[in-house]
Amino acid sequence: MPVQGIRSVTSARNGVGAFILQCKRLDFHYCDWAGSSRGMVSFLKHQLNAFAKQNPQIEIRVSPRPHKHPVIKGHYINGREKAVCVRNLEPEQIFQKVNLLKQNSGEKNKRTKKPVTSINDSVRGIWSPYHGGLKSV
Amino acid sequence: MFSRSVLAKAFAPPLEQVARPSLTATSTTFRACLHQSTTTTSATNPPTEPLSATVRAQSSIPAVQPTFQTSTTPVTRADVPADKQPIAPAFTTPLKVSQSLLSTLPQLTSQKPHYITAHLHDRPYLLTEGDDLRLPFLMPNVAPGDVLRFNRASLLGSRDFTLKGSPYLDERLFECRVRVLGVDSEPLRVKEKTKRRRRHVQQITSKHRYTLLRVMEVKAKSVEELQREGAIVEEEAKA
Repeated sequence: MPVQGIRSVTSARNGVGAFILQCKRLDFHYCDWAGSSRGMVSFLKHQLNAFAKQNPQIEIRVSPRPHKHPVIKGHYINGREKAVCVRNLEPEQIFQKVNLLKQNSGEKNKRTKKPVTSINDSVRGIWSPYHGGLKSV
Repeated sequence: MFSRSVLAKAFAPPLEQVARPSLTATSTTFRACLHQSTTTTSATNPPTEPLSATVRAQSSIPAVQPTFQTSTTPVTRADVPADKQPIAPAFTTPLKVSQSLLSTLPQLTSQKPHYITAHLHDRPYLLTEGDDLRLPFLMPNVAPGDVLRFNRASLLGSRDFTLKGSPYLDERLFECRVRVLGVDSEPLRVKEKTKRRRRHVQQITSKHRYTLLRVMEVKAKSVEELQREGAIVEEEAKA
């Protein structure tokens, strides 16, 4: 009998079957008066409509935030949120920031050394000195 | 054709350009095949009627949507639009399977789960189904939700059996699909640089972005499947 790991209940893994985008909501905050919101207001007027149409799975909220710099906040399925300040940015730069929030996984930024992370049991099993190929001294 | 060239860059840059003169060694032919390409495939399907701004501006009738030509790529999945269908690889010779492989392959295919050592840019990644793969680079021209098929692998195995490639397996022997989940980034790195006899420290910052993938499928094709796809059994009387 080979050594076996402890059996566990299956956990949902997004993308193996169905795929759900991790970003569920984007909040756009702007100020009508302040100059740092000029690019943001232009983005909201001209580009946000097309972006919302292309991404129907993302809820989009636009609300004023007077006397503050413009901010885009992304809300994710894992419950976290990411905020990006877009003061004095051009509409094209803001579009890049929006794309960044859209594609993001919502996890905290971490530096990882290993490319593969797995929750599966080892396919070939764990080596055991007591099983198979025993040699007498 | 555009998505094809994009994937060629992403997967096998040197080998894809080669005119492949020697196809007898089937184990050394590789070809990238994307299952669902990016949104930038407008070049393949030109609209049938040329766009004219004057007519649209003057008439109050809603303009007829330009009809797109159906591409010649084989339709394998109904839920994927026609311009995003995978491009079938054009192999010139059928897959040759030796007698020994034919006799031992059922043992591998029937024993699940499988692992695979897939190579991407000549780096090996040991993958099983459901694994997370964070590539050490940002893959260009992919969007979240896209499905890629890895076509180069050196090992494919189960608990007791392993199929080894020399150096790589023929891509028609297995299927390995991954889904693009999104783009991840690392915390800001700050590198302090100094020069001698200069009381000044430069702070160089960098923040790399990485593509997140998830393995959807690792499958060893069975003998029946290989034969249905036109594999030829090699006679090994010489040995």
